[in-house]
Amino acid sequence: MANKLRTGAMTRAGGKWACGLLALLLSGGVAQAQDLSLENARISLLPGDMPGAGYFSLQNDGAEDVTLVGAQSDAFENTEIHMSMEKDGMASMHAVPEIDIAAGQRFEFAPKGYHLMFMHRAAPLEVGDDVEVVLHFADGQQLPATFEVVSPTAMH
Amino acid sequence: MLKWLSPIILSALLAGCEDPNWHTSDISDIMPDLDLSLVDENGEQVEEDAYTGKTTLLYFGYTHCPDVCPTSLARMTAAIKKLDESARDDIQVLFVSVDPERDTPARLRQYTDVFGPQFIGLTGNTEQLDELTNRYRVSYGYGDKDANGNYDVSHSSGIFVFNAQGDARLLMRNSDPIPSMVSDLKRLMARG
Repeated sequence: MANKLRTGAMTRAGGKWACGLLALLLSGGVAQAQDLSLENARISLLPGDMPGAGYFSLQNDGAEDVTLVGAQSDAFENTEIHMSMEKDGMASMHAVPEIDIAAGQRFEFAPKGYHLMFMHRAAPLEVGDDVEVVLHFADGQQLPATFEVVSPTAMH
Repeated sequence: MLKWLSPIILSALLAGCEDPNWHTSDISDIMPDLDLSLVDENGEQVEEDAYTGKTTLLYFGYTHCPDVCPTSLARMTAAIKKLDESARDDIQVLFVSVDPERDTPARLRQYTDVFGPQFIGLTGNTEQLDELTNRYRVSYGYGDKDANGNYDVSHSSGIFVFNAQGDARLLMRNSDPIPSMVSDLKRLMARG
């Protein structure tokens, strides 16, 4: 989106050069996105303004380790990486600033463990809706993904 | 200090009295019967007598918990669905919110409706919640508020199960498989 806007603002003379640059940027982006992939992306959604939890399986097929540093979705005001813990019969949850995923490794965001905490939805959502989420990595990579809204009763 | 010690004492007590016939933990001899004074999801003051006559599952949590609480409740929903249809009216789940600042009765009703007709939301003031959590030797606590005013709440993760007379019978943990919960609930509902 940002690239498109920038290209549109260019003069005609600079257009060709900008298109070439844009193509280069995009191809770079595509190559990176192929290294990182998301499977089984779901948002378990509670009613009203109660927060939802995002679960998925993140595969890093690249040659480099990556560090997940956050996520963003226009459907929610605030999205954070959280981790649930259970110790001595007590459950607790806290925010996690970043998660390293080594080259060739798969990392699971699953119930009672790591999850994305989606807070304050921008518009009402229903089970079956799709929500676009972008995962952000420390090296600047962005991985867009579609999460399906599911009922919390589906998660057990 | 005592609050922190209680899970350890509880674990030690539980280790000594496993009934081999139950899949989950038998707490008949170590936990007191159901006794509570709280506000229900309709805003009414209630006591334990409102819940006798049915097998009762008691769980502590809060609605701003997107992961552990809904997952635990979903496990109970799945277990209840495995019971005979007629038995599903004879069981209830009391979801006690330890976060009364955010969990109003209306909000609790909206929350419990997701999980099924057996689920009832309850909360109370600090004194009422402390009395109940102390009774079952569990604790809860609040994290610091962030820039948006959000805070995390720690709470016990086990499910206390009472028979229809309100006697404490079982403790089900997140590590207990759903078939074990179903088997024990059936057994408890058959023999009390």
